[in-house]
Amino acid sequence: MSSAKQSASWELQLRQLLLPKLGQEASECEDVIAVDTKTCRFAIADGATEAFAARDWAERLAQHWVENEAKLTPEDFREWVVAEGRELQDSWKSLTLSWYAEEKASVGSFAAFVAVELDLMTDSPSWKAIALGDACLLHCRRGSLLKSLPLSHSESFNSAPMLVASDSCLHDTSMPALVIDAGSCQNGDVLLLMSDAAASWCLQRFENGGFDVEKFLVTNGDEELNRFFDEERLAGRIRNDDLAILCLCLCG
Amino acid sequence: MADPFSGDSVRKKSDFVAEVVNHTLHDLVIRCTKTEEVRNYYYVSVIGYGRVVGTCFSGPLSARSMVPIAEVADYPLQVKSSYKRVSDGAGGWVEIPVRYPVWIHPTADGKTPMCEALAKVKTILEQWLGEHPRGFPPTILHLTDGESSDGDPNEIGRQIMSLGTDDGTVLLFNCHISSRRSAKIEYPIDDGSLPDGFARSLFDISSRLPGNFLAAAAQLGVNALDGSRGFVFNGDPSSIVQFYEIGTSLTGMTPYRWMDDRTELA
Repeated sequence: MSSAKQSASWELQLRQLLLPKLGQEASECEDVIAVDTKTCRFAIADGATEAFAARDWAERLAQHWVENEAKLTPEDFREWVVAEGRELQDSWKSLTLSWYAEEKASVGSFAAFVAVELDLMTDSPSWKAIALGDACLLHCRRGSLLKSLPLSHSESFNSAPMLVASDSCLHDTSMPALVIDAGSCQNGDVLLLMSDAAASWCLQRFENGGFDVEKFLVTNGDEELNRFFDEERLAGRIRNDDLAILCLCLCG
Repeated sequence: MADPFSGDSVRKKSDFVAEVVNHTLHDLVIRCTKTEEVRNYYYVSVIGYGRVVGTCFSGPLSARSMVPIAEVADYPLQVKSSYKRVSDGAGGWVEIPVRYPVWIHPTADGKTPMCEALAKVKTILEQWLGEHPRGFPPTILHLTDGESSDGDPNEIGRQIMSLGTDDGTVLLFNCHISSRRSAKIEYPIDDGSLPDGFARSLFDISSRLPGNFLAAAAQLGVNALDGSRGFVFNGDPSSIVQFYEIGTSLTGMTPYRWMDDRTELA
């Protein structure tokens, strides 16, 4: 758990957990966590496994979003994604590709994306979030789930979510699924950014009750958490997918 | 296989089947492609039977009975240039150039030595399972246009279905295609509607469709229920396409809709 003093009043404690699928190397992980404590912007992108250059696209989306400002309206976000997608796909033009890679590249890349910007410069801190796909933001307070977006139930996850496409031809179809929301925070609140497998597991725990997810993620050490998620995936209680979790704990 | 389908006076069944198999291999390669690399999520064997029984691969893959999908990707016999219709994102369609590889050419000669062919499949499976005892069990997609000419395939079919991995027994699915205008029977739960002993014998050696195969069938609008067998009798061209799409649907992905494509150049 690392911490960063964000203002005279507020400190932010951070924990990141990034695990590749069981049996795969860290370099194969297509989930990306991006953190910028200066801009107070945080993002997770989950590259679609079947897509061309999925990790590159996820990394570009998450990293560039936190490093820059704005993109918190549908219009700004779409304009920004068009530019990022064009740059990514232009970078492929110099590649000599096999027939199968060429075909895969022709439809572009895809990623789920969730990002949050915190305003901790006032006595009443707040967040603004943007999400497209099945990577989620969960706002927790004293063991309860206040809000979850873009999905709010564990059964809402499926194998074909709408994703952020690098090819702008697909944006008319995908961008209507964009979710933008905001909320206010209190001392002790926890914001969780999660890729789909972790978010689905977490929402299920909240639905079932009797398990303080927020406390579990904040108080356990990295090794315990890594072991726990490996065991859960091995037992099939969590789908064997890449896992990305970013805990943001607000301390007054 | 040298005959056309009923109502199709030009196209031979063997041409259509070869096209479906090539598209299926293409689909598997694309599913396994991650950026510039093909992951070996599948091993593939294509066995044909008629005058001879043996692998349908030729060229660099000719001596191989079971081939990792990455090598299948790298060794097509030829690559055709075509166009594919895709959404333009504004309610219309645009055509984009794509290339379609060809691995097998149509063949139609000789009788129907089904038992010998299934025995060949069993030998290949036994060797492969000895080296790969863990993971999802192999799936056999058996397509025939006639009755076995070398005996009842029931016994050898049962022997194949008794093989398996730590995750379950081998899945054997059978699709019988016909030139006659007979009613087709797709994915039945029992053999009550089957017309003869040959159909019932194939039904007996057809595995039940597991859940993810049922889900793929539902996505294609195919009426398969819990308990349905992987079995089609008197199938038509669309039966063949669906049979291969359902039978290769392990990834949970939406089946690749290649029937929407338009092939232009050979």
